[in-house]
Amino acid sequence: MTTVTGEAPADRGGVLGQPLDSREDPQLLRGEATYVADIDLPGTAHMAILGSPVAHARILSIETKAAEQLPGVLKVATAADFADVMPLPCIWIPGGVESHFPPHPYGLPGARPVLTGDTVRHVGDPIAVVVAETPRQAAAALAAIAVEYEPLPVVTRADEALADGAPQLHEAVPGNLNAYWTCGDKDRTDAAIAAAEVTVELDLVNQRTINSPIEPRGAVGDYDPATGEYTLYASTQGPHNHRFLLAALVLGIPFNKLRVIAPTVGGSFGTKGYLYPDMPLVLLLSKALGRPVKWVDTRTGLMNSTVQGRDHRQHVTLAGTRDGRITAVRCTSYANLGAYPSTIGPGVATALMGRSISGMYDIDAAFCEVYAAFTNTVSLGAQRGSGRAEAAFLMERLVDRYASEIGMDPAAVRRKNLVPKEKFPYDNGLGWTYDSGNYQLNFDKAIELSGYADMSARKAEARTRGKRLGVGIATYVAICGVGPSTRMSQEGMLGGTWESANIRVHPTGEVTVTVGSASTGQSHGTVFAQVAADELGIDPETVQVHEGDTQKAPYGQGTYGSRSYSMAAPAVALTARKLKAKLVRAGAVFLGVPEDKVVYEGGAIHEEGNPENTKTFAELAMAMWYGWGLPPEIEPALDETTHFDPPDFNYPFGTHVAVVEIDELTGETEVVAYTAVDDAGNIGNPKIVQGQIEGSIVHGLGQALLEVAEYDENGRLVSADLGHYALPRAADVPFFALDKTVTPSPHNPLGAKGAGEIATVPPAAAVVNAVVDALSDLGVRHIDMPLTPEKVWRRLRGESQ
Amino acid sequence: MDITLNVNGRPEQFSAQPNELLVERLRDGLGLTGTKVGCDTGQCGSCVVRLDGRSVKSCLVLTASAAGGEIATIEGVTTRGGELSGLQEALRQEHGTQCGFCTPGMVMALGELVDATADGPAPTEPEIREWLTGNLCRCTGYHSVVRGVQRACAAHRDEVPAGSAASTAAAPEV
Ligand code: FES
Ligand code: FES
Repeated sequence: MTTVTGEAPADRGGVLGQPLDSREDPQLLRGEATYVADIDLPGTAHMAILGSPVAHARILSIETKAAEQLPGVLKVATAADFADVMPLPCIWIPGGVESHFPPHPYGLPGARPVLTGDTVRHVGDPIAVVVAETPRQAAAALAAIAVEYEPLPVVTRADEALADGAPQLHEAVPGNLNAYWTCGDKDRTDAAIAAAEVTVELDLVNQRTINSPIEPRGAVGDYDPATGEYTLYASTQGPHNHRFLLAALVLGIPFNKLRVIAPTVGGSFGTKGYLYPDMPLVLLLSKALGRPVKWVDTRTGLMNSTVQGRDHRQHVTLAGTRDGRITAVRCTSYANLGAYPSTIGPGVATALMGRSISGMYDIDAAFCEVYAAFTNTVSLGAQRGSGRAEAAFLMERLVDRYASEIGMDPAAVRRKNLVPKEKFPYDNGLGWTYDSGNYQLNFDKAIELSGYADMSARKAEARTRGKRLGVGIATYVAICGVGPSTRMSQEGMLGGTWESANIRVHPTGEVTVTVGSASTGQSHGTVFAQVAADELGIDPETVQVHEGDTQKAPYGQGTYGSRSYSMAAPAVALTARKLKAKLVRAGAVFLGVPEDKVVYEGGAIHEEGNPENTKTFAELAMAMWYGWGLPPEIEPALDETTHFDPPDFNYPFGTHVAVVEIDELTGETEVVAYTAVDDAGNIGNPKIVQGQIEGSIVHGLGQALLEVAEYDENGRLVSADLGHYALPRAADVPFFALDKTVTPSPHNPLGAKGAGEIATVPPAAAVVNAVVDALSDLGVRHIDMPLTPEKVWRRLRGESQ
Repeated sequence: MDITLNVNGRPEQFSAQPNELLVERLRDGLGLTGTKVGCDTGQCGSCVVRLDGRSVKSCLVLTASAAGGEIATIEGVTTRGGELSGLQEALRQEHGTQCGFCTPGMVMALGELVDATADGPAPTEPEIREWLTGNLCRCTGYHSVVRGVQRACAAHRDEVPAGSAASTAAAPEV
């Protein structure tokens, strides 16, 4: 059933592309993996953080004496204790625009102090910490810290923060405007819209959401006075990046005095790649107290401190002809960055969203402008599918509005506007050059698999049961493979975004692969072993994979933006190729033949035309370890490293179709069928990717139906626990119909594209399109997410939004 | 107060504060860190253990109120590095875990379902999904977990699993 448009790795008969069982699973299923909360170093003291209970206020005084007297309390610290610690920098300011940030000493944009001493800017803003013998004692002592506040006015919406007279958050940022950022061609787009036969417009709210990995964040700091070395154990997606940020930009300590270890990490979806105050705090307090210091967040703490996602208010316009040809798209967006610029949040809210708005469509004129503003809310960051999901949402809502305006089938409108196969590489006019694609094939496959042709019959049948059935399509292109370092620097990213891998072949022929990336649940140990084994022609069982420890692994940015398989895995493959090349050179010596007569095949070498003259992989490994008889130009041992920086990004894509049924009495929306056909290029392990796609879709459905980070007028997060912030549960979703197309990327040696989070990009759009379809005869043209029963019920009764 | 618990077949005696939570005793007191804490309001299910056979959220149970009870935690399902239980093996085959943080709680909660239905018909897909509503997972989207339970129940009955990747149209070919 799967159509392959390029070389699929499975076709080569190797282990890459095979659905091997994840080797991580048994340990996880037995509950044996060590997460940060499970780390128990001898002598550990426990830290608790006092977060502000108010959203915006001047701190008049902090009184800690009473807390210091409580049993078990070792230290109470406030901003004054960390006066020489630099604030946490932002390393992705949108490129090419004037940007206002509170300053960081290195001239970097930054702002968030490790603890705030003068002004609190959101509920949860850290003010003080307690370290005590037990977690309970630390938490109890927080209550004894007396803080006097002078309340300041509060603003929680980006558009309102930019209005005249709005409360001001940062002295250095007049009018709360961090940046005004644009991409595309404004004049051309405005002209196309003005001249168009048809235009449609929508006002959209892409609501703020909370990633909610089930493991809250945590950190353990351990300073060794004997060596002067700091060790940080943290639930992080990017230990190397955290080391860079902390050592160089916050603590100002030598790079080689900080080791960062990511133990097993319990999911992340974007949030655990950011720099948070707790990280420097546990290190500094460990040094001060001479003991390891451990902090583990609570769920409510997480919801008030860990970066949140989405949060755009947009006015969007699409122009086209009467017969269904899209001619222009335009977006004006107000992005809510929260109280402080997070590590890379400003880039997420601008480039990742704005450059992606035209999706799979071949549109002559496109333009996006983003006003990124500070408000009294938790800082904004990445959330599974970040930026691209917001882009797909606006585009796919617009296409449906347009289709209904011209009375054409939404599938037909989409089909007509897909970027043609011959146009790749395709410049989308907004800054991305799509690497490869066969959108028609992908689209047709999804439409067919979903049974789209039978929907009117199904709608009629549903009505007999008191249900309104609706169908919604959403397509997407997701930029992945961040990234080409130079290109990212043009986007405003500070730091190299390449990835690296080391392979060491041991004397007895076993192999250790070490990568800079760090898994948060993606079975890297399984997949990278497959990559190395496939290249070397050996049994994957003989390959071990290590990652997540800056002392042991080569540098790398970590896992985010679905990048590990198209960034780290290529580094593994290229390293294996280096080893093979070396084995061919050395093999000539061992076989006593010229180099061009050495054939590397199936994990062994032999003389061309003489298979008897051969050496197995294990024999070669031992011979290279001895190094006997090697000429001076061939070093002994088998140990190679590669740093992979791709020529450009890669662009997975896909088509999803949601079928919903709305209960006419209750307004409840049920997703009754969901079809997804995704194209992630060549896939390393289809079983693991399937799991990620299923999880991603459910995450996207969560945004459509359930999830919203709701702030009241005082800036308090109302949905600050899992009772009020609703995550999808097992009974909320049906099994999905999944398939794929395979269009390899030319930008890495595996032909890989991102996979992990791509399927989070379209579900929200597909579901809202389906619900609007179900209610279209009532004149409903749009409903804001989440599509709660009450909201839908009101629309069923004819109330307007 | 002095308390006796039987944990994974071992008698444990200790004294505990009246407000101590069972999950604190298990993780901090007994070092059984396989039981996880994902929330502070009893919603996520990461902390599920079995108390006298019934699955309970150990963050909602006071140690004192469990006194005298039989507790089973994930550590008691199999030995460290040991052979997986039938349910764990089925979940492994369906890749029913990703980051693994929700997994011990899932295994404990689902263990009760598998046990409770062992002598009757296998639970249906809606029944499995309903049973799982007390356990949140952000990684898998639950599908591989549901397939794992179906597989475990089928294996127990010597059948081909109803919803497994090997047997349904819903089975995605990704
Ligand atoms: S820890 Fe979440 S339910 Fe117990
Ligand atoms: S596997 Fe990560 S939360 Fe369930």
